[in-house]
Amino acid sequence: MTAVTERPRTTEAPLAPRAAPPRRRTSPERVAAGLTIVALLVASIVALRSVEIDPARMLQSWSNAERFFGRVGAIEFPPLAELLQLTALTLGLVICGTLLAAVLSVPVAVLAASNTTPGPVWRAAARFVTVLARAVPDVVLAMVFVLLFSLGTLPGILAIGLHSVGMISKLFADAIEQIDEGPRTAVRAAGGTRLQQFTAGVLPQVLPSWVATVLHRNDINLRGSVILGYVGVVGLGMEMSFAFKSLDYGLGLGYALVIFVLCVVMEIVSSSVRAAMLGVAPTGRGLGDRVVRRATRRRADGPSAAIVTETVGRAPAAPAAPAAPAAPAAPAAPTVDAMLRRPWDRTRVRNTSWGLIAGAVVVASVLVCDIAWSDLVTVWGGVPAVAVRFWPPSFGSYEASTMVAAMGETIAIALAATLLTLVASIVIGSLAARNVAPSRGMRSGMRLLLVGIRGVPEVILAIVLIVVTGLGTQAGTLALALGGIGLLGKLLADSFEEVPAGPERALAATGATRLQVYAGATLPQGLRALVGHSFYMLDTNIRAATLLGIVGAGGVGYYLLNASQGSNYGAVTAIVLMILVTVLAVEGLAMWMRKVLR
Amino acid sequence: MTPHADPAETVVSLEGITKRFGSTVALDGASLSVRRGEVVVLLGLSGSGKSTLLRHVDGLERPTSGTVRVLGRDVTGLSGRALRELRSEVGFIFQQFELVPSLTVLENVLTGSLAAVRGPRLGLWSYGRAARAEALARLERVGLLERAYQRADTLSGGQQQRVAIARALMQRPQVLLADEPVASLDPESSDQVMALIREIAVDEGLTVICSLHQVDLALSWADRIVGLRHGAVVLDTETEGLSKAQVMEIYGRVATSTDQLAAIELELAGDAVR
Repeated sequence: MTAVTERPRTTEAPLAPRAAPPRRRTSPERVAAGLTIVALLVASIVALRSVEIDPARMLQSWSNAERFFGRVGAIEFPPLAELLQLTALTLGLVICGTLLAAVLSVPVAVLAASNTTPGPVWRAAARFVTVLARAVPDVVLAMVFVLLFSLGTLPGILAIGLHSVGMISKLFADAIEQIDEGPRTAVRAAGGTRLQQFTAGVLPQVLPSWVATVLHRNDINLRGSVILGYVGVVGLGMEMSFAFKSLDYGLGLGYALVIFVLCVVMEIVSSSVRAAMLGVAPTGRGLGDRVVRRATRRRADGPSAAIVTETVGRAPAAPAAPAAPAAPAAPAAPTVDAMLRRPWDRTRVRNTSWGLIAGAVVVASVLVCDIAWSDLVTVWGGVPAVAVRFWPPSFGSYEASTMVAAMGETIAIALAATLLTLVASIVIGSLAARNVAPSRGMRSGMRLLLVGIRGVPEVILAIVLIVVTGLGTQAGTLALALGGIGLLGKLLADSFEEVPAGPERALAATGATRLQVYAGATLPQGLRALVGHSFYMLDTNIRAATLLGIVGAGGVGYYLLNASQGSNYGAVTAIVLMILVTVLAVEGLAMWMRKVLR
Repeated sequence: MTPHADPAETVVSLEGITKRFGSTVALDGASLSVRRGEVVVLLGLSGSGKSTLLRHVDGLERPTSGTVRVLGRDVTGLSGRALRELRSEVGFIFQQFELVPSLTVLENVLTGSLAAVRGPRLGLWSYGRAARAEALARLERVGLLERAYQRADTLSGGQQQRVAIARALMQRPQVLLADEPVASLDPESSDQVMALIREIAVDEGLTVICSLHQVDLALSWADRIVGLRHGAVVLDTETEGLSKAQVMEIYGRVATSTDQLAAIELELAGDAVR
């Protein structure tokens, strides 16, 4: 990994005097970045030892688990009607929350994007909102809102809605910054106002990416809703937590299974919607890709081919022919009046159906949530009372050193999990990359594995692992490490597939083996992305590690839940502040690293 | 369509325009005056300041010094609604068309009427029937009526530029600016697009200022050629009775490097053989 720091930057090349002997120049910042990476690697290895992952003990406890499962008996499910109702409620709540976040994110993103912001002050404020929303876990928000609203779906919707603004507005703003400025300039040149420039020049360009972002976030929120159940947000997650608390493990695992299936189904639905809408040319050989590809091809050489030949025939040929309306009688040339009615062609039918489906889903979600709108008005009276209970922060009956140690444990879990994920993802991600995999079957298999892993909510993984390995850091680390492979493995596979193919071909042409090509061309070119993705993973893991403690997987989350259930709200505030500082520090580190290594 | 009070009226007048971007000087005291109905070509190599000059006419850039008067108004002093009103009377055609690729052709044309409708518009149906009928008529004018409901990015480059022309016409402009309108097109589409602009200019009585870098095309197409070099006007002549050799000679002065001169001489020699 340190090799990154040694690579000369091409942009620096012209600054160096030509005649000088080729001496590698490294800026102090890059040296610092390299040292940081080494330090983090060492810390991760130390952390890995500290979380006490012990295969021998795990095998031993596996027999425990077997006995345990024997005692639990068969996995049970609640009655079907109840299950369906709970599923609808969970889905509706998550969708409402995500939509709320999407709506709130639009103004934040417009203010935060460099090309639409009215000024640097606005931009800084918007960025601050983004970072803050991301840093406060939705579980903490849910704790507060459950206190305020006590019952119903509003706590969950608001918690998801406010927390998701962080990620959604960030990605919305990125999309705005990536637009082609041309169409917007065209609207400006035609005399359009700023708002018109946005709606006519910016919005149509970013819309597909925005919808994709919202769908993606919806997947994440569905997974996160499990843990919200532990702090009193209604839905499948809450029923599961009740089942486990009353030691009804069969029923609890039943709920876990239902949630897992729901997540996988949702992931498949949203990724196929994204693919269909973004018009991404499906290049894979999976079943879904094949279907999509065939469908799009049929559309491409459908009616439009006929029109092409027609227009070529009647194109105004030379300037000599002055505005002659005598088009050489194309069969049934359309008139303006006829064209006023938009034909129901394939595109229109498709767009309209998508619109209707989306509208129906939104309406159904709002209805199923049965939102107590009046609460939104009456709630403000309760705010001061609740605020007083959360302030000032204090550790209360806990020792400060215990809390710091718990936070340290959380960081150790995140570091160790990131390291494990990284090692596994390099192997799996490489084998899932088209240009590395030895065979198509291998690539498809690995991709399928990654999708499968991504579908499992980390909390479910943690709960199952707790059953197998017992309470503690080991379960949390393994849950994060396994869950992370789904994300990091996919990101790495995509990055490897995106490296320029030239060097690979050059090496292959010299007679290098497959492994040599990988080590000599693919890996070095993908290294920068690898470092970037790893930091993203660490960032994600720190956030997740604080929450996994809530289900008993070690770290500071356990105390967070205890404090809130013991109505020790000063301690909740203190712990949240601790988490905030850590998360912001890691985020800052990751940002600095991305800047230096760009 | 517009009242032609005085055919010799000056509609665009730039006086001593200097524009600096940081330390680079894009325009260096350029002056230009265009009468109503004239078809003028700005000729020059890339970087000579053609685009910057055009953008000043539409108030997209403000000069570092000098005055810009368009349609009787001092553009440098305009802002807000007055500036938008001026822009709506000046159509602009871009080298890269600048259509929104994911929208239908018709909706792209309709965006030309935004200044007239005020307020944001989302979707085809938000524009009203009259506007849609007018947009379709504009599309018919450029020969692309049957493409109205296709996505803009399914069209060829030449067709996209024709859509952009329809969009500019939707503004009901008095002046049409075109910034290298055919630089991204193949020769055949180029001819079509240039012919279309000329036809429309004549039909609608538009004043046209178009930047180009091809001498041939400029000579056969424009009433008047204005040569730019390093941001200054070095040539301003009617095309009537002008031979290509004469223009080439002047263009030699417009060109900057010996490489470009060599290329021009080669082209001249080729013409002689033909």
